[in-house]
Amino acid sequence: MNKFFYPKLALVNLKKNGNTYIPYILTCIGSIMAFYTIVSIQSNKGLDAMQGSESLKILLFLGIIVIGIFAVIFLFYTNSFLIKRRKKELGLYSILGMEKKHIARVLFYETLFVTVISLSLGLLGGVLIGKLMFLILLNLAHIKSPLAFKIDQMGLLYTTIVFLAIFGLTLLTNFLQVKLTNPIDLLRGGEHGEKEPKSSWLMTLIGVISLGIGYAIALSVQDPIEAILLFFVAVIFVIIGTYALFTAGSVTLLKCLKKNKKFYYQSRNFISVSGMIYRMKQNAVGLANICILSTMVLVTISTTVSLYIGQESMRRDYYPMDVSFIGAAETTDFSEIEKIVVAEKTSAKVETTNELSFDMSTFTAFQEGSHFLPDMVTDENLDLTYYNTISKITTVPLEDYNRMTNQNKTLAENEVMIFSAGENYQEQTVVFGENLFLVVEQLESVPMDFKKKLITGNSYYIIVNNEQMMSTIYTAMNANKDNADSESPAIHHAMMFNLSGSEDNINHFSKQVRASVSQLNPDIEIRNIYESLAELYGIFGGFLFLGVFLGSLFMMATVLIIYFKQISEGYEDSERFVIMQKVGMDKTEVKKTIGKQILMVFFLPLAGAIIHVAFAFPVITKMLAAFRLTNIPLILLCTLVGVVVYALVYTGVYLLTARSYYKMIH
Amino acid sequence: MRLLEVKNLKKIYTTRFGGNQVQALSNVSFSVEQGEYVAIMGESGSGKTTLLNILASLDKPTSGEVFLDGKNIVTIKDSDISAFRRDNLGFVFQDFNLLDTFSIQDNIFLPLVLAQKKFEEMNSRIKPLSQRLEIEELLQKFPYEVSGGQKQRAAVARALITEPKLVLADEPTGALDSKAAMNLLKIFSTINDLGQTILMVTHSVAAASHANRVLFIKDGEIYNQIYRGSMSNDDMYQKISFTLSILATGGENLE
Repeated sequence: MNKFFYPKLALVNLKKNGNTYIPYILTCIGSIMAFYTIVSIQSNKGLDAMQGSESLKILLFLGIIVIGIFAVIFLFYTNSFLIKRRKKELGLYSILGMEKKHIARVLFYETLFVTVISLSLGLLGGVLIGKLMFLILLNLAHIKSPLAFKIDQMGLLYTTIVFLAIFGLTLLTNFLQVKLTNPIDLLRGGEHGEKEPKSSWLMTLIGVISLGIGYAIALSVQDPIEAILLFFVAVIFVIIGTYALFTAGSVTLLKCLKKNKKFYYQSRNFISVSGMIYRMKQNAVGLANICILSTMVLVTISTTVSLYIGQESMRRDYYPMDVSFIGAAETTDFSEIEKIVVAEKTSAKVETTNELSFDMSTFTAFQEGSHFLPDMVTDENLDLTYYNTISKITTVPLEDYNRMTNQNKTLAENEVMIFSAGENYQEQTVVFGENLFLVVEQLESVPMDFKKKLITGNSYYIIVNNEQMMSTIYTAMNANKDNADSESPAIHHAMMFNLSGSEDNINHFSKQVRASVSQLNPDIEIRNIYESLAELYGIFGGFLFLGVFLGSLFMMATVLIIYFKQISEGYEDSERFVIMQKVGMDKTEVKKTIGKQILMVFFLPLAGAIIHVAFAFPVITKMLAAFRLTNIPLILLCTLVGVVVYALVYTGVYLLTARSYYKMIH
Repeated sequence: MRLLEVKNLKKIYTTRFGGNQVQALSNVSFSVEQGEYVAIMGESGSGKTTLLNILASLDKPTSGEVFLDGKNIVTIKDSDISAFRRDNLGFVFQDFNLLDTFSIQDNIFLPLVLAQKKFEEMNSRIKPLSQRLEIEELLQKFPYEVSGGQKQRAAVARALITEPKLVLADEPTGALDSKAAMNLLKIFSTINDLGQTILMVTHSVAAASHANRVLFIKDGEIYNQIYRGSMSNDDMYQKISFTLSILATGGENLE
């Protein structure tokens, strides 16, 4: 026999099965590209030197694992689908006299071709698109650098090894399929009569209950930290609920519809309902998968986009002023710091505005009405309730307040003015230990902070008569503490200002000032929003990049699952509709019925996903609040845009597959 | 009364680019009386299936006319053809053509549902019919749960439930064992006795021997026909066999 016989046969097979194998090969190429891209970005040496790259690299590493697992599951899924479709063909070979080892040889060559084609194209595509992705990531993470993106040989090697292993495994399972079945079974393939599925009230009930629990958790969560913990519990319940309802719930519902004779025996319902029962039996798991994948895509993309867009306002809550230096009032020489700032700002070409300078004393306490109790919680015992109830209190002398606000207010010894960053202070008095003060004024603003929506404990600024008072209060609140805090001085001095200038200049300035000031006095606390932002851009830019990257990958998966589903159903349905035409069904009626069924199958998961997202929204906002993102309209907007874009792409896929489905029917 | 009249039917198939022409029917004329039971016999390629497809309004003739109860079915508009088929014709196929997704009962209801009949009416029609065809016990079962003969009886019920003017049967015994085939032919005879007009295309001499009249078709033309008259089924069988052998050898002599 010609030694090229098997390779040729394999090639012909791939061509003949083009309408299923081309999407399969495209999937392989897509997965390989994605895998290579993320591996090469993660291992890029230049990234190490950048600020915020630590967390970015960890994120990317997680991304590699997710994509790897995803590739394995997904390629296995599509492969098993393909081989099922081809059972008849393989059975025919065996009837025509091919032994199983010959069939195995054909399968081997087929896999070989698929592997070679997808690896070479995938790696090539990865190299090309990798550079683009890398630039996008750097841009998102605000990393400005002339980093060269070289072809990563290790990345190529890893990708090749991983995917060779995956392809090898799929080949093995195909061998097993052939080995375990006899020719008659192969010939018959998928077409043994299927039993009508039974309705299962139990499963439906489980589905409804766990979905209910999931939703209830989502709706009832009150505070952010609880949200993060319970979110995953809710997710698990919702996943269970989704699977149960798609598999059992749908069949139960359809069976109920079927029992209603008046409804069922109408031409527009008759065929759809009975068809849907079978369709749900075969597709429920696939549809549930699509529903969950879609939900994941939507949640991932909307949260990462919200975080990315909202990060600056989030930071603002933590850093009311751009830069602040805080040091012990008595021992720190602030005039030296001022000199450094002046020198650096001229050399870096940045401007400082809203300069503030004042004494202050800060401590934490538990509020009970007007009484503030000392914070005695040790570090090991910090828990949810602690973060939710603790208040941060900053006292400022009247003199400094008047100076900064150009006012001339007066206070008696036992009088204070109070500013609450969160909700207004409701009491007439403030009590610290033995010391009782009358609240004479509820301030609407203070120079160094602003009103914001606080999710966890409150933050108060209290203006008191003099520094003596501040020390008294501080001592009263720290008297029984024997940890390091009590040794720090009661009164600090703070110097704060905002910056304006180009991002590069500001970053340069921040770096220089930090270096010089730390050299001058290492005990000074320097808080700089731009340094924090640089880190955040690394994290949230990475989040966004991964979110969109994985989102697109999941979307590709969804699209392919749908495509394969439609194709396999097209084959079965075409026979069914020929019969119906013979019995007297109109062509237009056939078309309408088909359209209705595809529409339901297609948009059920999308509808499910959108409902899930709607219920998840409260939890998402609370979780994001833990990151101090409290801009709910922004989150809502990001979510809505995400849903709309996703629905549009989804509809596009629907129109495409519906077309090839109709072709198959006729 | 003439129920079906076929006049000078001609069908020529042309390959897509107009290259080869194949004449499936050259000139077929015959008629069927109300209440008759007619079998059409012929070898593979003789044009039987083409004829049946035209009678079933699934295909259009190149020329010629077909009148069913005085109405020319060749000229019916495409949009009305499904409704016409549903209301006037009943079909029985070789491979049953039952839908797996429906129970036997729903399969039988299918044409009525498509015709938008009320459930009560459907229910009242199926009762006597299923008794007569001995499938009452099977109504709630699914096609994959019953035997071939039972499936074909269900298909007959589906054809009859619309009370069609004409039942067209295409090799109805082709996929059945001899016992089930005999059973089905008995049913056909019974429903014919009750007045149902039947036109059956078949290869099987045994099947054809149950008919009142057998038409032989060869090379797209009616070659011969046999009337039962007072003949028994066995006599009919002999006569059909004889005609078929003449049909075969005669064909050779002509060349």
